[in-house]
Amino acid sequence: MKRILGAALYWLFRHPPSSAEVVLPPRGAGTIAEFRDADALTEAVRAARAEGWTLFEAYAPHPVPDAAEAMGIRAAPVGWLAAGAGAAAMAGAYGLTMYLSVVDYPVNVGGRPPHAWPVFLPAAYILGVLVAALAALLAMLWLNGLPRLHHPVFAARGFLRASEDRFFLWISPDDPMHTPEGAQRFLRAQASLRVSEVPPS
Amino acid sequence: MSTESPPPSTARVAEAALRPLGWGGWLGFALAGAGVVLLAIAVARLLWVGIGVWGNNIPHVWGFDLIAYAWWIGVANAASLFAAVLVLRRHGLRTAVNRFAEAAALAAVLAAALYPILHLGRPWLFYWTLPYPNTWGLWPQFGSTLVWDFWGISAHVLVTSLFWYVGLIPDLATLRDRAARHGRVGLARFYGLGALGWRGSVAHWHRHQAAYRMVAALVLPLLLSAQTVVALEFAVTVVADWHQARLPLHFIATGLPSGLGIVLALAVALRHGLSLREFVDRDDMDLLARLLAAAGVAALLAWLHEAGAALLQEDGATRAAFLVRLGGPAWWLAVVMGGLLPQLLWWRPLRRDFVFVPVGLLAAAGVWLDRWSLVVDGISRPRVPFPVPAYAPSGDEWALLLGSASLFALALLCFGRFLPIVSMYETRHEESEHEMEEEER
Repeated sequence: MKRILGAALYWLFRHPPSSAEVVLPPRGAGTIAEFRDADALTEAVRAARAEGWTLFEAYAPHPVPDAAEAMGIRAAPVGWLAAGAGAAAMAGAYGLTMYLSVVDYPVNVGGRPPHAWPVFLPAAYILGVLVAALAALLAMLWLNGLPRLHHPVFAARGFLRASEDRFFLWISPDDPMHTPEGAQRFLRAQASLRVSEVPPS
Repeated sequence: MSTESPPPSTARVAEAALRPLGWGGWLGFALAGAGVVLLAIAVARLLWVGIGVWGNNIPHVWGFDLIAYAWWIGVANAASLFAAVLVLRRHGLRTAVNRFAEAAALAAVLAAALYPILHLGRPWLFYWTLPYPNTWGLWPQFGSTLVWDFWGISAHVLVTSLFWYVGLIPDLATLRDRAARHGRVGLARFYGLGALGWRGSVAHWHRHQAAYRMVAALVLPLLLSAQTVVALEFAVTVVADWHQARLPLHFIATGLPSGLGIVLALAVALRHGLSLREFVDRDDMDLLARLLAAAGVAALLAWLHEAGAALLQEDGATRAAFLVRLGGPAWWLAVVMGGLLPQLLWWRPLRRDFVFVPVGLLAAAGVWLDRWSLVVDGISRPRVPFPVPAYAPSGDEWALLLGSASLFALALLCFGRFLPIVSMYETRHEESEHEMEEEER
């Protein structure tokens, strides 16, 4: 028994295998290409999908619906999540106020029936709209993986202009096809302004 | 960094948010700040002394508090209705005015939200309208308009802020990157926190646009409910001139000129104060002015229906109460200033900036007088068997009104100072679409 416990404790608290002897070169944070306009970016996204790249992201200073569709992104879940949350909140608000004033603590106000349904409608309606709007924002953030204040791509050269007037296509180093040379070769073939390696950050 | 390319077209907007204040800006901040100090004093006196510092009493239980509340809600409603319709229609004008229409709506909701809390009498107990489990085992009376009002106003504040904030996220990212490029790290972090790490991925844009339009669509039903809840507070009473099913529609229709008038006057201030004339151009102003005129038509129809229904259809008590209202100047001034005056804007030579400011502000003031006519004149036929003095607002009420207007102005000034007043990404989007059309030609 003692031996097993000792072995478990050793395994739990053991030092990680030392890597001091092998000095690996710092791994880059992917390869990025800069484009002049939305059309060039959309074409590059289509080419990337056609060539079988899977882990890449495209950046633009304004919405580019064509590129998003080319990546196979669907915006509908945002609407469905918001509508579902709103309907649930509406039913919940009606149910809660109805339960509290009919079952839990009925009060006779001027002889009106406890379950006078029209008086429960305003709050239910308003809460449904409120929760649907909140859910639209939260669903958008959740599906987008935001808030995420830092991302490796922020270290890319010239990326500050992605929020102003430049378009970028970034291939993640985690893409199974990714090698710096292969990604650079592909991106250079896409009529980009500049291709560079993203430094690790 | 390549320096040979021309500066991006939206740089002017971003710089308007980042450049130092001129003397006009300082004067505006000083005046609005002084007004907010006045507001603080009025609120402190109200909390310390009690609601007796106001001029209202039986039968005039409501005075400036409900007039201003209903009026500010109307301003907020019309401004956010305008912004939401622009976003949903994907109108070209939206790049120019939807952002500050949203901001004006938010500032107006904040001003409106003051009143229902303050007029409670014991404002620190406002949380009694929340259904929270308490030691008395009691629940709020959910059939009470005060409880509807609590939900209505808090939902209005939250949804209006959301609508404004969702549209702002990408522009905050632009400001973050511009500040970072100028080496202002603290400012970049400040904007970066608000931008939630937005990096402009086209997938993110796609979902962002869906969420933005979803929230814009949700603003519309909320506007109906916001004015309706205010109107129901009157309609569920037994006061002859208030107890009417037409009141919610009346509030919605007559509220339109106030918000559009204020947005129009603000647009003139933006064009000249922040030199954004190419973003809010003549066509935008033309369209906005004609919208105000059309809103005036809607309001005129509401007043016509009010007079027609009260004089021809209703019973004697309601007719008598309405005739009392017609005897005062407020109702007539409301019709002239809120309804007839904007009709001048159908005439093209009058669609000029120096005409827009007085017409817009007078239209808003006219709607305020309509609320006065309803709240004060509507109850002037007392049902108590002794003479009662007419309602006269006290200095505290005037201070509160002036203070809430200053709060509105201060919120808008802060917004114009620190944030992009014109939606930058929508301007870029429109420009790139425009370029593509030209290339195809």
